[in-house]
Amino acid sequence: MSHAHRPRAIDGQAPDVFSRDDTVPMRQFADTDEVDFAIVGTGCGGGVLAAKLAEAGFSVVAFDAGAFWRPLSDFASDEREQEKLYWLDPRISDGADPLEFGSNNSGRSVGGSSVHFQMVALRFRPEWFAARSRLGYAIDWPVDWREMWRYYDEVERACAISGPLTYPWGPDRGRYPYRAHEVNAAGQVLARGAEALGVDWAPTPLATVSAPRGKSPPCVYRGMCKIGCSTNAKQSVLVTYIPRALDAGAEIRDLAMVTRIATDRQGRATGVEYHRDGQSRFQKARNVVCAGYSIETPRLLLNSANARQPTGLANSSDTVGRYLMVHLNDAIWSVMDDEIRWYKGPPSMACCEHWNYIDDHPDKDFDGGYAFMSQGPLPTDYARTLVTNSGVFGHELRRKMALYNRMAGLKMVGETMPCADNRVTLAEETDAFGVPRAHVTYAHDDNDRRMRRHARAFMAQMLEAAGGRDLLETSSTAHLMGGCRMGADPETSVTDSDGRTWDVPNLWVCDGSLMPTGGGVNPSMTIMANAARIADRIKTLCASGTSERAHG
Amino acid sequence: MRPSARNTRNRDTRSAALGIGALAILGGAAILMQRRTQPKPRPKPRRKLRRSAAIMGASMLVDSAMEHFRGGFHNKAMLAAPVLAAASTLGATARAPHMLPVHATSVAVGAAGLGFHGYNIAKRPGGFNWDNLFYAAPIGAPGGLAVTGLLALASDAHTARHGRMLAGFTALATLAETAEVALLHFRGAWHNPAMYLPVTIPPIAAALLLEQALHPNPKTRGAARGAQRLMAAMGVVGTGFHIYGVSRQMGGWHNWRQNAFDGPPVSAPSSFIALALSGKAALDLMEGAP
Ligand SMILES: Cc1cc2nc3c(=O)[nH]c(=O)nc-3n(C[C@H](O)[C@H](O)[C@H](O)COP(=O)(O)OP(=O)(O)OC[C@H]3O[C@@H](n4cnc5c(N)ncnc54)[C@H](O)[C@@H]3O)c2cc1C
Ligand code: SF4
Repeated sequence: MSHAHRPRAIDGQAPDVFSRDDTVPMRQFADTDEVDFAIVGTGCGGGVLAAKLAEAGFSVVAFDAGAFWRPLSDFASDEREQEKLYWLDPRISDGADPLEFGSNNSGRSVGGSSVHFQMVALRFRPEWFAARSRLGYAIDWPVDWREMWRYYDEVERACAISGPLTYPWGPDRGRYPYRAHEVNAAGQVLARGAEALGVDWAPTPLATVSAPRGKSPPCVYRGMCKIGCSTNAKQSVLVTYIPRALDAGAEIRDLAMVTRIATDRQGRATGVEYHRDGQSRFQKARNVVCAGYSIETPRLLLNSANARQPTGLANSSDTVGRYLMVHLNDAIWSVMDDEIRWYKGPPSMACCEHWNYIDDHPDKDFDGGYAFMSQGPLPTDYARTLVTNSGVFGHELRRKMALYNRMAGLKMVGETMPCADNRVTLAEETDAFGVPRAHVTYAHDDNDRRMRRHARAFMAQMLEAAGGRDLLETSSTAHLMGGCRMGADPETSVTDSDGRTWDVPNLWVCDGSLMPTGGGVNPSMTIMANAARIADRIKTLCASGTSERAHG
Repeated sequence: MRPSARNTRNRDTRSAALGIGALAILGGAAILMQRRTQPKPRPKPRRKLRRSAAIMGASMLVDSAMEHFRGGFHNKAMLAAPVLAAASTLGATARAPHMLPVHATSVAVGAAGLGFHGYNIAKRPGGFNWDNLFYAAPIGAPGGLAVTGLLALASDAHTARHGRMLAGFTALATLAETAEVALLHFRGAWHNPAMYLPVTIPPIAAALLLEQALHPNPKTRGAARGAQRLMAAMGVVGTGFHIYGVSRQMGGWHNWRQNAFDGPPVSAPSSFIALALSGKAALDLMEGAP
């Protein structure tokens, strides 16, 4: 096992992620080269964008504060060791419902949070892209769902998603590149419960292959997904788009923390200040893209304030950092008569989107939707859930953990409403690089509470219908969305539909923070599809010579 | 060439090309040899059928023993398949007398197994849907045991009429086997283009054989025979592919204790060799060889 303390992508070589210790050639740029794009963050947004822009012939340097792992030799089957994948730098969290950060929502690695995500690969419901005009809540996306649907196709192919042949909800989505995996016992609990209640269920579309794919062997169902897959069956950005970016001539700078975006007197971005290997450096760039996710992207923009934009870069609308969203992640757990061994296989092999596709039902007393999935937490993770939620300890905790192999659970991914006061600001306190820490304020609203109540009752009913007993409820949140939302109106959004900030024509955002609404499904595919779309938009804008938009 | 960072771009075309090349050489040689050895006396149909039953039985034995072992033999009836496959295989190879009851039991148990496997699929949530067809008890597999028994019983065949019946039966068994392969290779997302071979060659071989069964025609019999030889060669090459397939699981053959179970079943493609032998025996019988 290794912790990467020193950068590995150096001297014209980058780690070969399909090997234990090999490298592959990498093009490198000097700090003084004015590259076409400096991208901050290499996750679902930045990784996809870096690959597609490099493939289109742009010069690209992509920075990540995290390490460049080789999963085959760097990842251990050990929950403690693998905490190296998370963004654990302190953030100040307050508000009526302070958020927890780290393993549940933020990664720090080349490949971003996709290195440790749980691979659930769902699409938004089409109507959510027009939530305000078609469903009467929140706000519309500045993008048509059909366009997004095409890009879902593209990224699902790129990640060889394994999914069912027919998906019960929403418009037809063609055939997933790989067949669905065999649903494990934990997933069959959901399936039995759903059949007993007469609602649809499906094997979850997952970003891990069910048959060989080149150098990726098929999934071996050991269930270590959340702490990083050590076989490369998982089709994370690290093994899909990052190698593509390298092949196309992008440079990836690992362990490179960007602290500030520099601007000239006209207010245009000129490059990024960053720290790497003990040095402070500056990379010149024609365009800068923020792709650090919902906390770090706003933090970077706020910290890059200048004389002309004293409240933060691209923040004339005072929207940077606002409309931060999470997913409600409440769960119901129960003891089953049969042995389940829920740790086997990816953690969420069966899903139910029933309440995402229902609008008029006497029982539905909330806006937005929620999905839920079967569960398979690793032991420490589950113990932590028990302790933080029910305060059990000592003998009682031991008794509860002894039931580990007979447990089943259902966990929701519930849409929260975008709210201006849920936001990221800068704290007084600074980090090791002297950058003010992120200060995150969060409160749930009544809609969240109603949805949570509804989901808990429904999931409990389903678990009982599947034969579960001794039900236990737990509460948490997952995923981050918004914080630098895109929109049609410069007064209420940070960027236009292309991810270009309204205020600075050569500054872009391309990650989960663009999302105007959160939807009731896990966000990675939507972030990737949006990034793939933005890459094509940038290509079109450059080809037509309109990349220099005269606004702001 | 600059080494590539990315995963293999396309399907595994290199190994597919190698395999198809091997098949062309092997299959071509088999067909050419058929022309040359024409005047020499062929092995008797009876011997071919015994060999066919033995190969099919051995394939069934390995497959059912491994799969039912993996299932922990949690139902005692699961022991029946490997035990009978072993008995029928031994009976066929050793030319043991009085084996009729054993082979007949194989047929009966194989048929019953189809019911068991069907029940296993139906009882899962979702019933007869794609996912259960992929992953529950394989729907057609027990048929292989029944086919073993029938092939062993058929080794007494000696008339041209028997030959026609055997040709018809073999053609249908080949089509059933093809259907099973199609299902499982579809599950594997056809990740290697060579996975299309066993759903292409066998139906052609079966069609030519079926034609002989329905309208015996000496003029096209050579083609039918050639197709059987090609199918047998495909069984050999397919075994190679499955061995390679196991190596593509995490840990490859070093981790054979897991991967021999989780990878493609190495014993499966040989069933096409068995069917090809039976097909050739049928054609021999039709040509009047006792
Ligand atoms: C445990 C867990 C499980 C998840 N499971 C799923 C799932 O099953 N399905 C799903 O769809 N989604 C899942 N998600 C969510 C999904 O992973 C994220 O929504 C997605 O990765 C976000 O993409 P992004 O590009 O916005 O940010 P990220 O992928 O997080 O990438 C941001 C990157 O930017 C880097 N960075 C940030 N700031 C800087 C800086 N200043 N300088 C340099 N680098 C910087 C970070 O190190 C990070 O690597 C999960 C998340 C977690 C935490
Ligand atoms: S269960 Fe599959 S995807 Fe998850 S860590 Fe293991 S091999 Fe990787």
